[in-house]
This record gives sequence, C-alpha cells and structure tokens, in this order.
Amino acid sequence: MEAVATAVDLAERRARALVGRVEHRSLGVVRAAEAAEFARAAGETSACLVDPEDAGFVVHPMYVVSLLRGVPGAGDEEFRPDGMYRDEVPGTDGLDVALMAGGQDVRWIADVRPGDRIDVRRTLTEVARKGRGTGFLLLTAEKTYGTAERGVLIEVTERFIVR
Amino acid sequence: MTDQDVPTTAGGRPALPGAEIGPVRAVPDAVRLLRFGAVTRNAHRIHYDAEFARSEGLAGPVVMAQLHGCLLHRAAAAFAGGDPRAVRALGWQNRAPASPGDRLAVTGTVRTVDAATGEVTLDLEETLDDGTVCCRGHAVVALPPSPDGEGSRRT
Repeated sequence: MEAVATAVDLAERRARALVGRVEHRSLGVVRAAEAAEFARAAGETSACLVDPEDAGFVVHPMYVVSLLRGVPGAGDEEFRPDGMYRDEVPGTDGLDVALMAGGQDVRWIADVRPGDRIDVRRTLTEVARKGRGTGFLLLTAEKTYGTAERGVLIEVTERFIVR
Repeated sequence: MTDQDVPTTAGGRPALPGAEIGPVRAVPDAVRLLRFGAVTRNAHRIHYDAEFARSEGLAGPVVMAQLHGCLLHRAAAAFAGGDPRAVRALGWQNRAPASPGDRLAVTGTVRTVDAATGEVTLDLEETLDDGTVCCRGHAVVALPPSPDGEGSRRT
C-alpha cells in the first residue's frame, strides 16, 4: 500500500515543478524616508542611514532585500494562516507546513537610490530533501533586484526551510 | 605584499588574515521586532505570537533572519570604517533561533586580503551569551584607498 503523502511531500512535488520558473514582483519606488525608517527599526544610529537630510545619506544596503512587500502592502487574500505570504515560499501555498528562513547570500552591484523603482526577479533553482523520516525541504532561489533604467543592482541567493 | 600594500581598517590597523573583528552587539527586543516587521511588511506569526511560535516547535517568538543580516552587515561596515556601502557581499546561514531580549554579539576574523583590490573577506559569527551560534557567515568589504592616492588603502 502506498504511503499517504505528507504536506512536506506535496510541497516538494510542487516545488520541483516550479524549478526554473521566473517570477516577477515590484517593490515600488524607494523613498528616502522609508529607507531611513527601516534603518532606525534595524537599530542603526548613523546619520548616513537614518537621516534623509544628511549630506551623506544612503539607502541602507539591506533595505530592499529585507522587504517582503512594497507599498501599499498586501490584501487579506495574500496571506497564509501563519501570517506569511502565500507566494513567499514556492510550492507551499495552502499547505500546513512550517516555514523558516535558511539564510541568504547578498551581492551588491550598485547602490539602491531614492527614486529607484525596484523590480524583483526570482527563480527557484534547487529543491533538496534533508533530514530523517519526513525530514524537511531546503529550497534555494536566485533573486535579482533592479530597475528598468539601471539594470541589476543586487543579486541574492535565498534559502527557505519547509517542514 | 609590502607594508604599503596592506589594507587597513578605520583605526589604521592592518587588515591581515586572522585579525579579529568586533564584537558588535545588539539586544533586539519585542519592540524592535514589531518595528522591523512593520517596515519590512513581515507578518509571520513566529516573530510575535508566542503560542503560535510554540506550535511550530520554537521556544517562543524569534528574531527575523533579515534582522540578523542587518547586524552582520553592521559588523562588516564597522570593520570598513562605518561606511555601509563598503560591504560588497554578505552571506549567512541561520543556525539557531534568537529570542526577543537575547544579547547578540557578532565577532569574526579576517579570512583573506586582496591587496590589489582592497577587498577583505571576513568570516563572521553571531552568538548568544551562552555561546550558541545563531548565524555563521562571511562578508566582503572594500576598504577605501588611501588619501594620498598611493594605494596603501589606509583610512
């Protein structure tokens, strides 16, 4: 008799079918005040990160790569019961699985500037089953953050854990 | 590599392989997690709902991965004299969760130094007071060229 598929099994099956598919998302226009608010929330105190009026102000390099959504946020229908976005972790929409961030590799090619309209391109590149028993999934996605005018500004390799 | 080729940190210390970094410390409390979650539009309940977090097998709410990343970034930028744009790359793996109120410290060592480009690769580690490793990662920072323009890259 065939074993009943677990939610992790289903997530794995779905995720494998999504490997290589390119997804796009807009984070909207970067505003200096919002980047400064991010820096303050992260605990920064340097004027160059928290004061948009400072002559040396720069958008915190971690700002756009930490944003899960741009303004104006998401509608109710975009959330999972756990509060995560339905499309944040590929293959997990509607499944009762636990989601955790596994880590990131961020490579900055150019500064993000106020006024940049940031588009995110994401491709799921790897699905691996780890651990014993049901174990867990380790999903790897490649992302780029850029603008139509300036091209790719940041490259990210992101890992998610699904269990 | 001659002495004049050795990149240096903000304090003028030579950036030599094996040199120690940090510590850079932070105590992200529940208020910081709420603020950080709000500005990043992260509503995942493991960051603020204790009962839900326990149902996911956690001891309680946990610090966001991106907030860990920000602390690692701060440590790398501090090594480069405080210039956030000097950090060219940052990578980390989440190894253990941190709870609101935990005292986090990022330390590390210089792994390699490229005298030609001024890029320094750092191995970084974020730990709790009890030594638990929350994140392990690395950063590449570009130290600024020397004011005299002779390539000594002293800051």
